[in-house]
Amino acid sequence: MDFEFSDEQEQLRDAVRRWVDKGFGFERRHALAKAGGKTREVLAELNELGLSALAVPEAHGGMGFGAVEAMVVMEELGRGLVNAPYAQAALVAPTLLSYAPEALQQHWLPKIAAGEALVVLAQQERASRYRLDQAATLATESAGQWKLTGTKIVVPAGDEADAFIVSARVAGADGVALFVVDKGAAGSQVRGYPTQDGARAADLVLADTPATLLSRDGLAALEHAADVAIAALCAEGVGLMDRMVAITVDYMHQRKQFGVPLATFQALRHRIADVKMQLELGRSMSYFASLKLGEPAEARCRALAQAKVQLGNSMRFVGQQCTQIHGGIGVTDEYVSSHYFKRMTVIELSFGDTMHHLGEVSARMRDSAGVFA
Amino acid sequence: MDLNFTSEELAFREEIRDWVGKNLPKETSHKVHNALRLSREDQQGWQKILGKKGWLTYNWPKQFGGPGWNSVQKHLFEEECARAGAPRILPFGPVMVAPVIIAFGNAEQHKRFLPGIASGEVWWSQGYSEPGSGSDLASLKCRADRQGDKYIVNGQKTWTTLGQWGDWIFCLVRTSSEGKPQTGISFLLIDMKSPGITVRPIITMDGEHEVNEVFFDNVEVPAENLIGEENKGWTYAKHLLAHERTNIADVNRAKRELERLKRIAKSEGVYDDARFRDQIALLEIDVVALEMMVLRVLWAEKSGKQSLDVAGLLKIRGSEIQQRYSELMMLAGGPCTVPYLHEAMEGGWQGDIAIDRFLLPLAGTYFNQRKTTIYGGSNEVQRNIVAQTVLG
Repeated sequence: MDFEFSDEQEQLRDAVRRWVDKGFGFERRHALAKAGGKTREVLAELNELGLSALAVPEAHGGMGFGAVEAMVVMEELGRGLVNAPYAQAALVAPTLLSYAPEALQQHWLPKIAAGEALVVLAQQERASRYRLDQAATLATESAGQWKLTGTKIVVPAGDEADAFIVSARVAGADGVALFVVDKGAAGSQVRGYPTQDGARAADLVLADTPATLLSRDGLAALEHAADVAIAALCAEGVGLMDRMVAITVDYMHQRKQFGVPLATFQALRHRIADVKMQLELGRSMSYFASLKLGEPAEARCRALAQAKVQLGNSMRFVGQQCTQIHGGIGVTDEYVSSHYFKRMTVIELSFGDTMHHLGEVSARMRDSAGVFA
Repeated sequence: MDLNFTSEELAFREEIRDWVGKNLPKETSHKVHNALRLSREDQQGWQKILGKKGWLTYNWPKQFGGPGWNSVQKHLFEEECARAGAPRILPFGPVMVAPVIIAFGNAEQHKRFLPGIASGEVWWSQGYSEPGSGSDLASLKCRADRQGDKYIVNGQKTWTTLGQWGDWIFCLVRTSSEGKPQTGISFLLIDMKSPGITVRPIITMDGEHEVNEVFFDNVEVPAENLIGEENKGWTYAKHLLAHERTNIADVNRAKRELERLKRIAKSEGVYDDARFRDQIALLEIDVVALEMMVLRVLWAEKSGKQSLDVAGLLKIRGSEIQQRYSELMMLAGGPCTVPYLHEAMEGGWQGDIAIDRFLLPLAGTYFNQRKTTIYGGSNEVQRNIVAQTVLG
């Protein structure tokens, strides 16, 4: 058992933090969000730090780092409220591609590692909610060419992406398969929109659009990638909460009412104690999430669902209460804390919300209990 | 970062598991697993077995007879004991008074008191709370007046857990009314067989006799029973609190009880009821999160590299979880937990009732567990402490 970060991991954390402190202030973020949430330029700066190569195997030009390095980076991106789709680009896509035939990996992974290609998962549909095994998008094959027809929603950075990894059901077969669709492929349309958290997403409409098969057994890959995404979001959530609590504590010392600082009122002091509780439970479960990513699928899914429930509850409590403690200023667009709150909220709505994952934990529950159950 | 125990730690756990399996009396573990009433013999019997092995002192420094375990080993020991259904080691002797005697007592006191605690032979009680001094402990009034080579003690202590079986009691007593309340308190060890001591039971709402009032009427205590210096007792008591470990969260018992909750829910047909099952799932997540927090603290202690300011959080969360599993067990038992049969709490009871025996103690346990958010510094006091670390 060891909860210490290595020197290398601390250096990685410092590098990301320094970049945030120097180049990603709230004003820049606010301007990007106001302009529609396009952030490819931000992603490019992260790539210059070498972060695009983080999770790509060394054989494909990456650094082959593991879950703890990803967690460290995500905590810092959360703390800095960075609205670029880093986890999607650098963690989720390489995980999905690890299930692809070698040639397809060879085509995309070096480009991802070099920061030249942005490949994103297009999985959600109007009727699927958070269920990974559902897809109305239909895949048909003729003369060795796959074609897809259907509509995907809330595809992250959809109108900035170079390619999509699309889930679809195969005519006459069970389950979902995964395909790669290039940007601008015949019959495809992308309709972008800003999101609540100052980022950007898109509808992806496919009509007989040519596609390359990634995996017929798409569910195993999707579940794995979703768990990688959940661990990343948990870590980002910890960074977000950490910073939002710090901002709130500062405010409680500055702001006076009835002639004394807010920090002197016991009702608010107890609230902050409860906030601290949720933050530390969340941090504990974020560690749990990343450290369980290497387990066999069943144990991994159970653990990541547990973590997502804890972080969902923690972030909702911390976000709501820190907003409340601020009073009026907390609900304004000009003040930074509301943007932390909104990003936490969107995280809860991504890769399965708290109730969805409570259902998963419930369904996967076993007789034994605890971290090592 | 790594979540797994080392192979040495796993081997250590095996050794503990094997030994506990062979040495814990079956009758005792049966009672613990079913939340039945534990007799003095159940409690002290197990402590003496541990004492003989040298493990009752598992928290002590090696030079005073501890086994020299690190924080992770201590945790694994506690986990294996809880898992097997051992009674909780009563903290008053080995965990609470012994570290104070070790740190602030003199060599004579070490020789006189530590062996009886280490062997489990001498039953210690705690004399802190008073009728007028609960969360505001420093306001305590029980007086010790120096007369020559002895103190004369007058006053009252309360909530004395299992004080009916106590041989000795360690007390915070008022030796001065000068200055701040904290600076007039002394730490005194008192033989409970002394003339002038009366122990009266307090029956709690579960109908059980677990706590007592202790009255002191001109009780003579030799001055050599004073620990450290007069009027420094508050500092010693605080030292004790600072060294309270992750033990307070009792996560190992929570894991055992969560497994019991699942068995009860299955037998009562609510495990497959989504509404009920989701509540168990939520509790399971709470337990995993608490265990992760405990493991983080253990590692910080073991490595000595960083300190984690979460002790107050552990007490709050651990006690809330204890209340929650006892509540869910009662709800799982439903109407079968309504009968109140005081005698059914005894191990040997064989009554004629159309309800399975294991369901009968569940409501009583639920009522009993209300204490956990009140004792050891109420959860509201703990929130004050946590807020202090966050806000200053």
